[in-house]
Amino acid sequence: MKRSIPFLAGLAVALGAGWLAFPRVLYRSSPQPVNFSHKIHADKAGAKCEDCHAFRDDGTFAGLPTLDKCAGCHAAPMGTTAAEKSFIDDFVTPNREPRWASYARQPENVSFSHAAHVKRAKLACAACHGNTGAGNAPRPYQIDRISGYSRDIWKTPGMAHGMKMADCVDCHRRQGLEHSCLDCHK
Amino acid sequence: MFAGGSAVGVLFTPAPWRLITDTALWSENWPGIPAPPRGEIRARFTNCSLCTAGCAVRARCVGDQPVELAGVAGHPLSRGVLCPFGIVGHHLPFLPARLQSGPVPQAAAAVADGIAKCGPAEFVATLDLRPGRTASWTYRRAMKAIPNGRYLAPSAYTQAAVDLSKARTVLSFGVPVLDGWGTPGNVIAARAGFRLIQVEAVESRTASMADRWLRVRPGSGDALAQALAGRIPHSAAADATGLTIPEIDALANELEQSGPVLVLGSSQLASTGGTVVARRDTPVPDEWNQSAPVTELASLPDRSIRVLLIDESMPGGYLSWNTIAHKLVADNPVVVTFASSREGYARHANYALPVAVYPEVAADIPTAIDSVAAAFRISAPLVAPPPGTVSPEAFVAAAARLAIGDTLRERADAIHKSARGTLFTPADGKSQAVKNVTADDFWKALNAGGCWIDQPAAKATAARLTFAALAQQPVEEAELPLAIVLARELAPGLPLLSKVYQESNLRLAPGRVALHPACGLEDGSRAVFETLLGKCAAGVTLDPGIPPGIVLVSASPALLDLSGDGARAKVVRA
Repeated sequence: MKRSIPFLAGLAVALGAGWLAFPRVLYRSSPQPVNFSHKIHADKAGAKCEDCHAFRDDGTFAGLPTLDKCAGCHAAPMGTTAAEKSFIDDFVTPNREPRWASYARQPENVSFSHAAHVKRAKLACAACHGNTGAGNAPRPYQIDRISGYSRDIWKTPGMAHGMKMADCVDCHRRQGLEHSCLDCHK
Repeated sequence: MFAGGSAVGVLFTPAPWRLITDTALWSENWPGIPAPPRGEIRARFTNCSLCTAGCAVRARCVGDQPVELAGVAGHPLSRGVLCPFGIVGHHLPFLPARLQSGPVPQAAAAVADGIAKCGPAEFVATLDLRPGRTASWTYRRAMKAIPNGRYLAPSAYTQAAVDLSKARTVLSFGVPVLDGWGTPGNVIAARAGFRLIQVEAVESRTASMADRWLRVRPGSGDALAQALAGRIPHSAAADATGLTIPEIDALANELEQSGPVLVLGSSQLASTGGTVVARRDTPVPDEWNQSAPVTELASLPDRSIRVLLIDESMPGGYLSWNTIAHKLVADNPVVVTFASSREGYARHANYALPVAVYPEVAADIPTAIDSVAAAFRISAPLVAPPPGTVSPEAFVAAAARLAIGDTLRERADAIHKSARGTLFTPADGKSQAVKNVTADDFWKALNAGGCWIDQPAAKATAARLTFAALAQQPVEEAELPLAIVLARELAPGLPLLSKVYQESNLRLAPGRVALHPACGLEDGSRAVFETLLGKCAAGVTLDPGIPPGIVLVSASPALLDLSGDGARAKVVRA
C-alpha cells in the first residue's frame, strides 16, 4: 500500500491540475466594455433578439448592433444606475463604438450564414448562443491562449451544441442535410 | 512512481487532448495565413467576362473585396445562372501562376523600332483572341493608322446568332452544347424544347447528357455532314464514320421530319426554320467605322509579320503557335503578348506583359452566340488591378500613335444615341427603353452591371440546311497510333479550378491527356505526348469513356500547339 502512495499522489495532482488549473491557465479572460443586460432589455423594453441583431435588407446578418442603435433609446440616461451613466459618458456622448468581444465569432476561414439557419431552418438563437440572451450581465469573454478562439466554440450552458466544424457536420447529418466543404469554406 | 501516477492521471484530464486540438486550431490561423479585411457587407453588380456569355453577376463584397459571386435572378440573357467558372471568378487575381511584371518600356521601344523597320511587304499585326470588344475596335483603328497594319482575329460566326428557343432538333458535331457553349442560363431554359444529337468520337459531358450520342471516328464528322447533305452516299459516310447505313438513314429522316433543325459545327452553322438568324451590329461611333478590316491569319503570306501584338488578356480562341510562327519574318520579329500567365503565347513571345484580369478590369463583352439580339455589357471592375499591369488597348494605341479617350464611354454613347433596345438594371430587375434614359444614366447603369439589349432584327434570315464547311481536318497518314480529339474547354490555359480538376477528375485538367484504360499506361503517370509537330510532357488520365485508339487532349496551349482534330499522336511513358 505504501508503495502505491506516490503513484496515487501523482495521479491526484495530475487530475487536479488537469481539471482545475489547466482551464484557468488556458483561457485569458477579459470583461465586456459595457455592463449590458440582455434580461432587462428583454423584460422591460420587450426587445427581441432580432431587434438589435438584425438582418439587413439584402438578407445578410448585421451581427452586433452599432452605437447608433443603442443611442436611439439611450441618447440621454435612462435611469440612474452606474452602468447607465458609464455607458452614456464613455460611449454615447463621445460617440465612441463599444468594442464588444464576440463570443461566437467564427474564424476567417469560415463563412457562416445566419440567414440560412435562422430564416430558413428556423433555428432558435439559443441553439448556438446558449443563455447569452437571458443574462443579467455579460459574461467575461474568454479566449483560448493557444488557438485564439472563444471558449464558446465548446458547448456552454444553454447551447444545444458547440460551434466547431464537427458540431456543424453532426447537426447536418442528424437533419439529413447535404453539406460540403465549400458551403462554409468559400 | 509519482511521475508514473502523474502520467496516468493527466491522460484522464482534458489537458493533453485540448492541447492537441488547440494546436490544430492554431495552425489553421497561424501567422502568415492572410486574413481577409473586414468591412461593410454589400452587393455589387457586374458581368462576367470569362467568356462571351457575359452572365450577370451579383457579388457579395466585404469592404471592397468580393467574397461570393452569384447569378442575377430575372436577367433576360443569363437568367440567374453562373457556371462553375463564373462562381469562382473572383479567385482569378490570386492565382499563383499569375504574370506579375514585364518589361513594358523595352517592349514599347522594340515595337516602335519594329514598326520603323517594317518593309513594304511586311506587316504590323494585332492578333485579337476575343474579337468584338470595344478594345477590338481600338486595335482595328490602330492598325489602320499604321502603314501595313493588319487586324487579325480567329474566324468566328459573330454576325450569325442561334435561336435555341426555335430549335426542335440540334445536331452537334462535337460542340459542347451543354458544357460551355452559349449562355448557360439560356441553354438550360431552352433544353426541354429540343432533342440533342451529339456526333462525337468520345463520350464528352455533352455526349453523355445528349438525347442521342452518335459515336464516330475522329475527324469523320465532315463525311457524315456531306452524306446528310446528299453529296456523298450514305455508304461512304458509313465507311468513314463507323456508323451503320441504317443509322445514317434514320438520322437523315429525323432531321427531315423533326424541324426546325439547328446544326452546330466547330466553326460553322446550318439551320432550318429560322434557328440561325442575322444579328444587328452593336453601334459604334461613326468614325470607328474607318478602321482596318478583320483579316484571317491564314491569308497573310508566310514570313511576312514583322511586329505581332497578341491580346490574350481575355479568355478566347487559340491559334497554335506553329500556325503563327510560319507567318513571322525570319530575322528578328517582335512578338509582344498581353497575358495573365506564362502558359500561353508568353512561352514564345519576346515580351510578355502582365494584364489585369477579371474582375479587375473594365471591359465590354461581345454578344454571345445564342443571343438573337446584340447586347452590350461592361464587366465593371470589383477590385483594383495590381501595380505593373498594362492595358493592351492603351499599349497598342500608343504604338500606333492613336489618341484614344474613354472608348467604353464613347461606345456607350453611340449605343444611347441609336435609341434602340432596352436597358436592364440588375439592382431592381427592371428593363426600360433606352430612349427614356439619359446618356449619363445609361453609362452609370452599364457600370453598375446593367445590360443593353438590342431590338431583334426585324427580319430573321433563315439559312437553309446546307451543312457547308463543317470540315474537320482529315486524318493524317502517319505511324502514330492515336487519333487526337480536342477537349472543348472554356479557354486554353485558363487556370481557374485547376486544383479542383486535378483532385477530382471532374474535367481534364490542363496539361493532361485522357486515354482508354487498356493503353498500357498508369492513371496519374507522366508521359510524353508526341505528334508530327513535336513532343511535350503530359499527365495521363485513364477514362473508359475514351475508345481505344483515341487520345483526348486537354485545352492547354502546350498540347494544342502540337495538336489538331483528326491529327495523330502517340503517348509513351516518360
